[in-house]
Amino acid sequence: MGSSQSNDSETVARDSDVFAGIPSTRIPLKIYQEPDVYAAELQRIFYGPTWNYVGLEAEVPNEGDFRRTFIGEREVLMVRKAGGSVSVIENRCAHRGSQICQAQFGNTGSSLTCPYHQWTYDFDGKLLGMPYRRGIKGKGGMPADFDMAAHSLTSLRTTLLNGVIFASFHPDPPSFADYLGDKMMHYFTRVFDGRPLRLVGYQRQVIDCNWKLQMENLKDPYHAGILHLFLVSFGYFRLDQKSACYVDDSKGHSVLMTERGSEEGNEDTGGVNIADPDFTLSDQTLVQPRKEFPDDVTLAIQTLFPTLIIQAQTNTLATRYVIPKGPRSHELVWTFFGYEDDDEGMTTARLRQANLMGAAGYVTLDDAEALEFSQQGLEGAAEDATAVLEIGGKGAESNDHLVTESLIRGFYIRYRDIMGFERVT
Amino acid sequence: MDSAEKSANPASSDVQRRVDGLQLQYIHSIDDGPLDHWPGFFTDQCLYTIIARDNVERGQDLGVMRFESAAMLRDRATATQHAAVFAPRTIRHILSTSLLDRVDANGIHARTNVAIYQTSPDGDTNLLVTAQYRDWIVDTGGELKFREKRVVYDTFRLPDSVVYPL
Repeated sequence: MGSSQSNDSETVARDSDVFAGIPSTRIPLKIYQEPDVYAAELQRIFYGPTWNYVGLEAEVPNEGDFRRTFIGEREVLMVRKAGGSVSVIENRCAHRGSQICQAQFGNTGSSLTCPYHQWTYDFDGKLLGMPYRRGIKGKGGMPADFDMAAHSLTSLRTTLLNGVIFASFHPDPPSFADYLGDKMMHYFTRVFDGRPLRLVGYQRQVIDCNWKLQMENLKDPYHAGILHLFLVSFGYFRLDQKSACYVDDSKGHSVLMTERGSEEGNEDTGGVNIADPDFTLSDQTLVQPRKEFPDDVTLAIQTLFPTLIIQAQTNTLATRYVIPKGPRSHELVWTFFGYEDDDEGMTTARLRQANLMGAAGYVTLDDAEALEFSQQGLEGAAEDATAVLEIGGKGAESNDHLVTESLIRGFYIRYRDIMGFERVT
Repeated sequence: MDSAEKSANPASSDVQRRVDGLQLQYIHSIDDGPLDHWPGFFTDQCLYTIIARDNVERGQDLGVMRFESAAMLRDRATATQHAAVFAPRTIRHILSTSLLDRVDANGIHARTNVAIYQTSPDGDTNLLVTAQYRDWIVDTGGELKFREKRVVYDTFRLPDSVVYPL
């Protein structure tokens, strides 16, 4: 895999450290724009000792099925092997670097063949052969000392847990269990409980802002009862609902959750207008949840460092995967799913409630728009301009409320650490 | 019916004119507004969905919008106008004439190609999607309405958000 691994202990020189002297409550706006910072993120985070989401096992049910996706800017294939396991290999021919599979999905039989010169690989990336290896009538062909074994496709470290596949370009990532920690594993296995999953469908959108702004938005419950006029006007979200947010020990992962119907009946909404009596849905079926988890949580949003969001909002279950596209853009891939044992009513509920989510979602439409406002606003800011993160204090702890930016502060503790920037003191 | 028969039949050219007229009125209700008129193009029980072509091909029903009644469409129109935050934009639909696949007692099944452009507050115009309307149209007391309108879009990496119906 070349020389792309980062060295976690290696820190950047102070004069090029954009975080030098920056407290936990500030973020330099440069990190959302600078090509050098972005290039370092690819190496140190995306190709570094992290676990990156690849997909759901249910997307490649049969031997030879593949799905094409990205980790950072490198294309990878998730392929179902004979015997049932799934491998993740880079979609780049060892010959001349050509892309091997062009389709998003497909079935490639029992091997992978590059269309350019038909070099052929097995599903672990091992080079099986190429045309004219011995030349024609003794002329041409590969030299006798060509080492087939040294020309495999890059094969990634892979973890499969309860139907979800993660991979790492790093040769020695931490164990997945250690990477998540107990608290995050609890919420991960709340949704991915081992039942076989069923795909409901995809949405993809390109949002023109830095990838970190997307992750921050899912660690920012402060905006939820303010920006999302649909939830506020129709009375579906109040900051005084029973709620909590959690960070893990590394501070890079998080969960935020609320329980619906748990408002305490007080009117202390912090000055935000709520529940306009003029607004009632004329068709309520859109927001009628079916209980499906043992607890009373109706919204749980988990983020896993670096770029996975797991959404369980009433009955809409989805992964949202963030693919960076340069410092100023990213692609957001929504994979909506349910369980193999869903009845027809549950499938209908998931399809209906998906109106709240995605590129046209009653809720998330606002997010994509606000994120682009953010990028537009920070472009060309002064060299030393910073964002301010003081809602809920200065720390990065878990809370039993949502009026806090502590999860974002936590993300930057993890980020500064893995990037080799000055640590938060 | 084959196309030769269709063009020779004055009744079917009348249907063609009525369907093309319906589609034009429909797109102008979105492009020129007000959006409150948009739900009126549908029967009370209906299906309106905006769905990626690759989901359709894989047999998955998930859409970016999916509404099953005119009431749900009215809710969407209300929310878009009063309970959503987005940058102002102009939408412009460019339509083909409709291909009538089937005309019978149950109504009209038609396919119509559409390119939809979006203009930002800064004045940049970009393609939002190319798509195909796959419609089931019924005659309700002399007025054509959509019983089903499936907006099947090719542009599966949507640029930013889909604010207005398509």
